[in-house]
Amino acid sequence: MIYQVVKALDGVFHFEKAKAHCDIPCGIYDPHMAQIAALTVIRMVDLIEELSIQHKEQDAGFINSMARYVAVKEEHAELAKREVRVIFGDYFKKEHVEKYPELPSLAHKIYQLGSKSRQTVSREPAVELLEAVNRFAEIFWETKGIGTKRVKAPYKPSEEVVYPVL
Amino acid sequence: MFKLIRVTGQSLEPLYCEGDYVLVSRLYALFGAIRPGDVVVLRHPAYGLMIKLVEQVTVERDEIFVIGLNDWSVDSREFGGIARKDVLGKVIWGITDL
Repeated sequence: MIYQVVKALDGVFHFEKAKAHCDIPCGIYDPHMAQIAALTVIRMVDLIEELSIQHKEQDAGFINSMARYVAVKEEHAELAKREVRVIFGDYFKKEHVEKYPELPSLAHKIYQLGSKSRQTVSREPAVELLEAVNRFAEIFWETKGIGTKRVKAPYKPSEEVVYPVL
Repeated sequence: MFKLIRVTGQSLEPLYCEGDYVLVSRLYALFGAIRPGDVVVLRHPAYGLMIKLVEQVTVERDEIFVIGLNDWSVDSREFGGIARKDVLGKVIWGITDL
């Protein structure tokens, strides 16, 4: 009751804010790295598929390339998860979650799709990962009052990516 | 003499959480001098207005050492002691959303 009264007064008088700082408050958040990471995962799945078709013999060159593709897929699936985790944990506030109630389940979905993309060489979870990260990016830019557009990435795998309209 | 301040950030959780309000006063004669265990609002030259827990008061240097309640808190462990003149006051009432 008292809290609600004070909150209402805050809406009128805008009380000063005191920060209980955690971490360095650099304020630099951008979902772009997560989107690039998700695109990279799709590209690696495609390259793995191409390599298995082209190289029937599993020679040293094949093993080397395959190992590199798998390593990059692992790394970028994890990077997408980490970037989303930081933005969800550090940037998004209670008010954002109230306005976008899908946020917690969306973040959880991204973590799961990131893990699934590491476990498999299927394109489906990788594409779903990118789509979920794109939605996350749309919400992120909306909270900053910045509109977005969806365009095809001008490089392989040429999937749609959400960009801010600056 | 009294000031209502809104808390942002997580370093004082679970004591004070994002969105809580605190009533701050400099009437030390009435509410007692700043002591370890008090929560104070201070103005840091780089970080601006901060709310932290007092861990130590050094009378000789007229400064206080403040901390947060978790390992990631940015506080005196990083930026050193705070001059008492930079302390806006101590929290005498916390208003939380129960």
